Amino acid sequence: MNFATTFIRRLSGIFYLVCGLAGVVALLAMVLFFSALSDLPQVPEPLSRIIETPPTEIFAATGERIMVIGGREAIPLSRISPYFIQAVIATEDHRFWEHHGVDKVRTLKALWVTLFEPGKVQGASTITQQLAKNLFFTYRRTVMRKFRELLVALQIEAQYAKGDILEAYLNQISFGVGAQGIEQATQSFFGKSAAALTLAESTFLAGLPKSPTRYNPYLHFDRAKKRQKIVLSRMIAVGYINTEEAESAFKENLFLQPRNEGTRTGSYFLDVVLKEVEERYGPEVLYHGGLKVMTTLDPLLQSWAVESVQNGLAKLDEILGIRKYGVDSRDDAVTHPQGALVAVETNSGAVKAMVGGRDYSETEFNRAVQNNRLPGSGFKPFVYYTVFEKLDLSPATLVVDKKVNIPVVGTPDWRPKNFGGKYAGPMILKEALMKSVNSVAAQLVERIGPDAVIEVSRRCGIKSPLSSVYSVALGTSGVSPLEMASAFATFATGGIRHTPFWIRRVEDPLGRILEERIVGGKRSLDASVAYQVVDMMQGVLNNGTGSIVRRMGFDLPAAGKTGTSDGYHDAWFTGFTPTLCVSVWVGYDRGVGMRDANGKGITGARGAAPIWADFMIKATNGEPAREFAIPSDIQFQSIDPVTGFAAKQWTPNPVRVALRQGQEVQGREETF
Amino acid sequence: MADWVGPQDIREWSRRLFALRPILLFLLVSAIFILELRFDWIERALGAYLVTTNVARPESGAIWEKGKQTLTARKTLEQIVTDRQDSQRIARGATTFNQIAANVSADQGVMLSDDHFRKLYLSLPREIAQEIISPFELVRLASEGKWRRTYFEKAGAGLMVYLLDLNNRVLRQLKISPSLLIHFEHEQFAQVETLEDLPYFENRVYPADRFFDALEAFPEEVRRSMVPNPERLLQISGQIMRVGISDEAVSGFIEIGFEIINGSRRKVIIVQGHEWAVWRLRSHLEEQKSSANIISDTLEN
Repeated sequence: MNFATTFIRRLSGIFYLVCGLAGVVALLAMVLFFSALSDLPQVPEPLSRIIETPPTEIFAATGERIMVIGGREAIPLSRISPYFIQAVIATEDHRFWEHHGVDKVRTLKALWVTLFEPGKVQGASTITQQLAKNLFFTYRRTVMRKFRELLVALQIEAQYAKGDILEAYLNQISFGVGAQGIEQATQSFFGKSAAALTLAESTFLAGLPKSPTRYNPYLHFDRAKKRQKIVLSRMIAVGYINTEEAESAFKENLFLQPRNEGTRTGSYFLDVVLKEVEERYGPEVLYHGGLKVMTTLDPLLQSWAVESVQNGLAKLDEILGIRKYGVDSRDDAVTHPQGALVAVETNSGAVKAMVGGRDYSETEFNRAVQNNRLPGSGFKPFVYYTVFEKLDLSPATLVVDKKVNIPVVGTPDWRPKNFGGKYAGPMILKEALMKSVNSVAAQLVERIGPDAVIEVSRRCGIKSPLSSVYSVALGTSGVSPLEMASAFATFATGGIRHTPFWIRRVEDPLGRILEERIVGGKRSLDASVAYQVVDMMQGVLNNGTGSIVRRMGFDLPAAGKTGTSDGYHDAWFTGFTPTLCVSVWVGYDRGVGMRDANGKGITGARGAAPIWADFMIKATNGEPAREFAIPSDIQFQSIDPVTGFAAKQWTPNPVRVALRQGQEVQGREETF
Repeated sequence: MADWVGPQDIREWSRRLFALRPILLFLLVSAIFILELRFDWIERALGAYLVTTNVARPESGAIWEKGKQTLTARKTLEQIVTDRQDSQRIARGATTFNQIAANVSADQGVMLSDDHFRKLYLSLPREIAQEIISPFELVRLASEGKWRRTYFEKAGAGLMVYLLDLNNRVLRQLKISPSLLIHFEHEQFAQVETLEDLPYFENRVYPADRFFDALEAFPEEVRRSMVPNPERLLQISGQIMRVGISDEAVSGFIEIGFEIINGSRRKVIIVQGHEWAVWRLRSHLEEQKSSANIISDTLEN
């Protein structure tokens, strides 16, 4: 056998092998085709129908739309900037207008790179294939899925015009930060319509869908700019623009819309609203029903609430001597103190603002409603109300601030201590609340019993489990800021309890009302007794433990109470004007105490009251001074705080107290 | 047919390779390949074929799932809206508080206009209406111009009524107790034909003339307390044959049943009289009865 014969035979062998392989491939393709065909999804007609789902919209009390869930605002190609269309085509599929679903040249090139260039994987999906994948398939990578995706792309190409395909694609791609579809994206990033996009904006946006998280411009602006450069170079390569235009577009300053996490997707308030809507109507109605939910949120108050909490906590970080939040650690949410704020309209129960933590993007745990933390002395107003109502004591009743030892059956005696460990001797009850004297509260709860205090707090709306122990008077059972704000609002309204709420009305997509809130209150406390407590709590702000609020410049009539739990784990301030009740909590999630660099503990007055004051100064700016309504049987009398006698002209530092009819102090008040 | 034998040398091989048939085959394959590259006819053919099978294929995949969820959501919403509209429609057509109470479910109340509430209120006898709210208070509320709507919700077996302003703030909250609702119901026609059908009348049934004789013995204002709304009786055609007085008092009222005959048809109308007044009327009727018995006994002896 000579060389020629061998050559011929080998060549023939290769030829037959190739033919055979081609046959096998063809056969496999046939089998694959019919196998894939069996459960290939149906393509809807018309294609635009698939993106027409009504969005569920959530509105603030001002009518401002604060959140959109699901649904897409599909717009025709004519309303999309040609720059953007060109940028997408150049980047994603520059032969889009020529191919019929598959770009064979690009596919072969990608196959070559993937097979023969180690470490490199190149995609070759056309716009039509991407559309097919997004609409019908999961992101699981299998050969069969890829093949089905290809077949659906071929059908889409055969069934629809190129313009329809491109329009559907542009209206459903994801740009991140909750923006789906080009119109929503341009509104989110640039606050304008898709038709008005410039070349710079178009190329910037067109780069994002490749990896919306990686190129998120709010977190990684530089990466997004680098990606824009690639888009621009693709446009030059395809011939849509020249180098000068590209350079000028790249240099152009881009002004992204500010993202207000406090009132946008994912805010703590919206989480509460969504949870309630979902519980009531089910997830399908919430996410696909196109509801219109009118809430009680006041966006301005909300933004101030976020600002006050963040600023207040930043100052607290300084006091605690810890590094700035969010600079270089992923564990900041754990290593730094957290905070919560709830603002409730007193005469309705409408929640106007809610902050559930320092930074929603770091931690979604809503401390405003889910956290049950010890209120400490913040619970004392319920104790004072109880003894006024049940024992007919008054703010002028004289008590002795002394060491107390309260026997408890079956357990060691309860020996509550005053803050600072000092005892002041005789004082009237108003003074005791203003100075937050623990020994007095302990004596009161010993006399009335914890169940009576719990019953009053329940009447005010405290729902968390409360232990029937004497120490409940000093706030040793956990409550949430929402409960505290709502319960204190009952005092502000003279004893009318309003259940807190955040949804005013829910409508279907056609505007038909599904539910609407009836805003009504229920008398829970005696108006006169409640006023006596309010008057005492005004004293807390004016001359008591909460006087920092006045020092910070908040001068409207207001009442409130500080609270600090044992070991400085929790710092509270809950206070109200006649119209707005706000509760603020700060503390560590992991339950450690807050102490400054000198080892001094952070109290409610130091940690929470400044946040309260900062918020209230902004929230009530320009409001007239409104006094709390004084019931007709209330009269005021000046009392000597040390003797409990009616004050004389020469009495030093007399205290004005609110007394009910028959409680007037003639001589020495009763002591116990 | 001769067996195929492979070429033994280059010449033979070349001759065979460049023969007409292989060239034609090559051209054909090349043409197919080039035409596919140029015109994508395989993609087109497959696409066209798939279009023909589209209808028979399943509605599966992410977008269809979403579509189904949207459909479910729409159906759920439609059901909620329909239920709500139905109960609103029935409530709008209600002429009594009882009809509203029957229509209000535990989880869904009904909203009516202030005018509608006023109509329902005015349809009640004055004394019973007073039990819900004083007409003077209602006039005051109306004159303030804030009251716009009225919301009814179930409160146990009774009704809770909220008089609301434009912002749904409660101006006044009223409670209609179950016993009051029973009163309203009895104020309507009883679904019975004779007084014997109502056991609580069986001890005190009087001929109509005796009842009205006894009634006349009292001054007008007392009679108004005994039969608060005599105009209602005037509206009914027919003749009152007998009158029954109930043994039971509910919420300060005692029921009085008037048995009316109209041709061959009988029916009973029930009204509520104030307990204290009806007691006096009943005592008077019983005294009349005893003296009548004494007279008849004397005559018989």
